[in-house]
Amino acid sequence: MWSYLGRRLLQVPLVLLVVSLMTFAITRATPGDPATIMLGMQTSPEAVTAMRKEFNLDRSLPEQYGLWIAKVATGDLGRSMRLNDRVTTLIAERLPISLHLACAGMLFALAVSIPLGVIAALRRNSWIDYLCTGYTVMGFAVPNFGLALILIYVFSIQLDWLPITGIGSSEAEQGGLWKHYSPFILPAVALGALQTAMLTRLLRSSMIDVLSQDYMRTARAKGLLPGTIVIIHALKNAMIPFVTMAAVQFGYMIGVQVTIEYIFAVPGMGSAVLNAVVNRDFPVIQGFTLVIAVFFLLMNIFADMMYALLDPRIRY
Amino acid sequence: MADARALPLQFRGSLALAVQQFPRNRAATIGLVILLAICIAAAFAPWVAPYDPIQIKLSMKLKPPSFEHLMGTDHFGRDVFSRMLWGGRTSLSVGLLVVGFAFVLGVPLGLASGYFGGKVDNGLMRLVDAFLTFPPLLLAVALVGLLGPDIKNVMLALGLVQAPILARMVRGSTLAVREDVYVTAARALGASPLRIVLSHLLRNMVSPIVVQLTVVFAAAVVSEASLSFLGFGTQPPAPSWGRDMSEARRYLGDAPWMFLAPTSIIAVCVLSINFMGDGLRDALDPRAWRTRRSVGTDK
Amino acid sequence: MSLLRVRNLHTRFATDRGDVRAVNGVSFDLEEGEILGLVGESGSGKSVTALSIMRLVPEPPGHIAADSLAFDGRELLGLSEAEMREERGSSMAMIFQDPMRSLNPVLTIGRQITEVLRRHQKLDGAAAKRRAIELLETVGIPSAEKRLGAYPHQFSGGMRQRVMIAIALSCNPRLLIADEATTALDVTIQAQIVDLVKRLTHERGTAVIWISHDLGVVAGLCDKVNVMYAGNVVESGPIRELFHRPSHGYTLGLMGSTPRVDGTGVRRLTPIEGMPPNLIEPITLCPFLPRCRVAVPACQTVPPERRDFGSDHWARCLADLTPGDRAP
Repeated sequence: MWSYLGRRLLQVPLVLLVVSLMTFAITRATPGDPATIMLGMQTSPEAVTAMRKEFNLDRSLPEQYGLWIAKVATGDLGRSMRLNDRVTTLIAERLPISLHLACAGMLFALAVSIPLGVIAALRRNSWIDYLCTGYTVMGFAVPNFGLALILIYVFSIQLDWLPITGIGSSEAEQGGLWKHYSPFILPAVALGALQTAMLTRLLRSSMIDVLSQDYMRTARAKGLLPGTIVIIHALKNAMIPFVTMAAVQFGYMIGVQVTIEYIFAVPGMGSAVLNAVVNRDFPVIQGFTLVIAVFFLLMNIFADMMYALLDPRIRY
Repeated sequence: MADARALPLQFRGSLALAVQQFPRNRAATIGLVILLAICIAAAFAPWVAPYDPIQIKLSMKLKPPSFEHLMGTDHFGRDVFSRMLWGGRTSLSVGLLVVGFAFVLGVPLGLASGYFGGKVDNGLMRLVDAFLTFPPLLLAVALVGLLGPDIKNVMLALGLVQAPILARMVRGSTLAVREDVYVTAARALGASPLRIVLSHLLRNMVSPIVVQLTVVFAAAVVSEASLSFLGFGTQPPAPSWGRDMSEARRYLGDAPWMFLAPTSIIAVCVLSINFMGDGLRDALDPRAWRTRRSVGTDK
Repeated sequence: MSLLRVRNLHTRFATDRGDVRAVNGVSFDLEEGEILGLVGESGSGKSVTALSIMRLVPEPPGHIAADSLAFDGRELLGLSEAEMREERGSSMAMIFQDPMRSLNPVLTIGRQITEVLRRHQKLDGAAAKRRAIELLETVGIPSAEKRLGAYPHQFSGGMRQRVMIAIALSCNPRLLIADEATTALDVTIQAQIVDLVKRLTHERGTAVIWISHDLGVVAGLCDKVNVMYAGNVVESGPIRELFHRPSHGYTLGLMGSTPRVDGTGVRRLTPIEGMPPNLIEPITLCPFLPRCRVAVPACQTVPPERRDFGSDHWARCLADLTPGDRAP
């Protein structure tokens, strides 16, 4: 098992290398000189040259890449062209917020999908089952930013129950529990809606499959209580693919968050990349993408490990 | 459970049988009809749309839906319904182009990878893995943002995101089908790899490929809207579903129809595509066909 | 009074095409400590009969009805589901055909045994564990204590079935139902399991319903046999009576198609031609008629009545089977 983990982890740098190459290629394929864009048209040619030199833009492409990779290997992701902060500092500021949001979204997804999936499987073709199917269908159809707007309209504007912005703001930091967490609610729901749909559908079909197995009949023949039967015997089996998918989805969330961060003014990873793209801030784009990719890869490996842990039949 | 009458003799080809099967699934048929309606309306937008979508008329701004303006007007007094129709031209054509691009790029890659195996397979899948590690939206944002908000770039970006997924799926199917007996039989008869691939492998993968393409289509429409929403796709004043939703943000309370219209139409499109995809899946997979007699199976 | 009294049991399943009559008026008695064999081909209704007694039939689409279904004097059909749950696993237990699929793959063997003990006998963790070890030793599983933490896939087929038996007998049930318990096992293992069941139930005085399509096993184990066809019991009697004097066309057919190790000379196996009947349409005449080799003209017009042959042996057959029919 540990050798498998070791092997998977070894593949990570390789994939990251390709990812970094891709990011590098995309940024360098940009028309226009980033230094000029950054400093504006009014600056002197000397300032532009100085900036170009500082960020190695005057060297050849392979040199630029080599220099950057060498620095990455030592943990130095460079410096933002626009903000003059170190990229690692920026990541340290933004990653926790994005993770908070991703966790909130995942929590929402789990809180809805687990009961809904289980009940829909237990009561097939009942009104709850149809509700569940209808919900999953809508979850796939309405894009997350559309849902976000709907939620804002209903809960913030019409009902005034929930705030729109406020994550990471100073008043949120200092305020009480509600002030601190309420700004997460709407973005979490909008973010988690798609995941909820996917996970509910998965759990439902997984449960249906498990419930028809012979060992469920044995459990009933033992006269066990219904709660025991459903949770211990059925759910434990059905959760295996569920947990795996949830882990993978969580990995994806940081990337998917972009539109949500944009709408709700969340100072997270996604909005940072967005701004960096607009500003041609190469170091930020490269550094942030790399970190997001690392996170995704780690979650994938984690998902595989989970699978092995949960299913005693699998031993690597 | 009333079952099929015997199929008339002239419908013997498998394609024709599939076409016959499709209408059995009611949701799928409705989906197809709605999708076609939207596509046709969008394609003929210049003639169907009651108003000029970019004509500013401030006197009419932010009017709720009425008989004259079926979906109301936006903050510039422009007719939302007309903008929806014109926006559909962009979104749907991008969607179709992305489908084409993903197909052209992804299917041969997946076939080659699955059929030849070994180093080719390994190398290609590493590449695919790297692509898939990129959060798709970010990749699209980066590509379009950096290369310019040209429709070509949008198509390139979205296609590059979808093609690997398709390639991986095709590879999986190829691996499964490759070992089947009839492929070995074909090889024994001296068929060339190309012929095997085209006539045997592809034929058997029609169902999952077509279904995946509908998924790609839906994803592309949504992605294009996302990109435009973020400001990277269609530029103003051109009508675009995503872009209009972005502009609607300031007027959420005053004019909810501004964001409801594009949201609903995107949702309807995605739903229709999904239902249609389900119907296609059932229609194209001979094992799912519901007939009492197996007619015309002449393998 | 009998331990189990079944009178006119009917179990039907609602389907799109009509009601399937899986069990069609079955009646029998089972005494304490008696071993009853339930024999018949697939679709004859033997499993459904057993599931009906345990009320494990999902009710829709199934429906169980009977004039009487009395276990230990209590009418089972009148009990609520909660009351049935008290009986299942404690006073009546069941083991199934494929032990690999009948045991939960993600729970340890220990867990699957102790949960029954904790549920019905209210034992605490440590006591349940000790009892589980005892049970595993009783069914012949070595290193029982270590095995508690093992998972089903780590056992062989025979061992898994022993575990199932341990689970079933853990609360000392009055009735054990074994549904094709040895069908999925190797022949040598089959013999071991049959011996184990015989010994354990004899020791505890447990009544057994042994369901099988294998006459050989039934012959070695059961006191009494009910032969079932198309949801009915078509012949019933003590084991020796049945084997020496099969009195129904179907029973005859079963024996003729069973290979025998004893017996002199070469004998052809005679399979029973044809297919079992469609259980949706009601059957008025003898259900076996289309496939019967010894039918008489009366069979075409009159439904077969029950004919008694003494010593509790009866059959629903109009044909008077002569020794000639029973020729090997």
